[in-house]
Amino acid sequence: MAVADFIKSARESFRVGWKIESNWTDPVLFATYQIVRPLASLLIVAFIVIIGASLGTSASAGFYSQYLAWLIVGNAFYAYVLQVMLGMAILVHVDRTEYEVLKNIYISPGTLHPYVIGRGLVSVLNGTVSVILTLIFSVLIFNGLLHYNIPLNLLQVNVFMLFPAVILGIIGLLAIGYMLCAVTIVSNRMEFVLGDSVSGIFFLLGGVIFPVTGLPTLIQPISRVLPITYFLNAIRESFGLLPTGQYLSDLGFLALTTVVTVALGIGLFRLAEQRARKLGLIDRKSEY
Amino acid sequence: MTTREELVTNLRAAYARMWVRLKGSNREVTGLIVEIGLPILTIGAYVILYRTIGLSIQAGAAVIIGGAMVAFWTNVLWNMSAQWFWERESGNLEMYLVAPVSRMAVLLGMAMGGSLNTAMRAVGIVLLGVFIFQVPFQLHDPFSAAFVFVLTIAALYTLGMMFASLFMLYGREAYHTANLLQEPVYFLSGAYFPAIYTPIVPFALQATASLIPMTIGLDAIRRLAIYGGDITTVWLHILALIACTAILFPLAKRSLNYMESLGKKEGRLTLRWQ
Repeated sequence: MAVADFIKSARESFRVGWKIESNWTDPVLFATYQIVRPLASLLIVAFIVIIGASLGTSASAGFYSQYLAWLIVGNAFYAYVLQVMLGMAILVHVDRTEYEVLKNIYISPGTLHPYVIGRGLVSVLNGTVSVILTLIFSVLIFNGLLHYNIPLNLLQVNVFMLFPAVILGIIGLLAIGYMLCAVTIVSNRMEFVLGDSVSGIFFLLGGVIFPVTGLPTLIQPISRVLPITYFLNAIRESFGLLPTGQYLSDLGFLALTTVVTVALGIGLFRLAEQRARKLGLIDRKSEY
Repeated sequence: MTTREELVTNLRAAYARMWVRLKGSNREVTGLIVEIGLPILTIGAYVILYRTIGLSIQAGAAVIIGGAMVAFWTNVLWNMSAQWFWERESGNLEMYLVAPVSRMAVLLGMAMGGSLNTAMRAVGIVLLGVFIFQVPFQLHDPFSAAFVFVLTIAALYTLGMMFASLFMLYGREAYHTANLLQEPVYFLSGAYFPAIYTPIVPFALQATASLIPMTIGLDAIRRLAIYGGDITTVWLHILALIACTAILFPLAKRSLNYMESLGKKEGRLTLRWQ
């Protein structure tokens, strides 16, 4: 019964969230907005590599085309990180201060938990749209238009390797998003920098645009405890890209870091919820 | 009211708006630290990417300057362009509209406050970036660099003033549009490339990118600060930046009047939660 209620509340939250996110425009314009940001990010890194190749640096042409494929996949799936972090970091602020409905949600029988999950899943859906469109456009631009012959065939992806990694990665990201909600519920004016800060840390440490071995040795251990590192490794392997032969260990570490993140996320959210209630922060008005 | 009194009133309004912005953005030190530290994460990622693919050390310096200029673009987008959307949502816009001052004075105050705030952060980003990544600069003509920088900021914030009027009537699309204009401009302006004006970048892309003042200003500042250029190497950039400001300022004023009049006709100036 409790599970059924939870799912029902999360489903309704998802429905409301999806309407807020998408019904301000028509589907084509909405899809355009979803694709432009990740595609532009991808073009930035891709052009850095293309300029690097044109300047005749030491590596071979094969290295650059492999590297571009590696970058495209990493950048495309980084859209999940961006969408979930930015969406969930701002969620409490928007509902508490802008629409002033957080208190109503809080006193409703479902509690905040399914509400946050439902809204987080909207970010996941947005991320999925971005990932699919970015991958398709990347192949069209770099192989179709610019003829770079990047070794990336979207029809040969191993879906049995891809789906477990995506599902575990999404659960891990939602748990981190949960932590961001916890922080924003007890803080003030953090919402606009929190999502960017966390996604910036993942961009630097998660092996998005360069392998984590490129980081200074002292920082590498931090990368190795982040779910995003194993998420991107496992995803790249399902596309047949480096690092090959480590899929199961990457998936195992992804599962382990995800479990830890989920436990931390739930614990932190509960603590924040209790503190917010104690200090009367659930209906705080901070936009002044 | 005489012209002199009108001018003084408007300048006082601009100063007041600037003061609010300066005070509001700097009252929390944590915010300042995050706003300087956050771009360093992105800059760091690009510097390591440059090293991974074997690009020269000057490329690292280029990305630090690009990262600092990106802070201005972000400020123009979120704190200039979308500002009147936020003001409308929080109920302040109607107060600006009934105040006996020009809307342009309020925008000017926002631009002055925003540019000063961001300049402080940009200096922090450059200093921290140079300290962490140890990249070389060759600044032989600091006066020209400062002059180009001021022209770039003027052109950028004038563009922001024009966008502010367009964003004034937006509902939820304001947030999405500001987001939409972020990364594509990082890409087109070449903020994170070693250079946008290079043969490998298609000409059509270079031409499109040149419509954004930041592209021109960033390229000029890099020529002066990294490659040891002087004013003779960037005079075309200077002319282009002056032209941008001269064109955009009257456009901003006209679009502001038009959007305000449209908002009044459609009753959207006080509409919230669209």
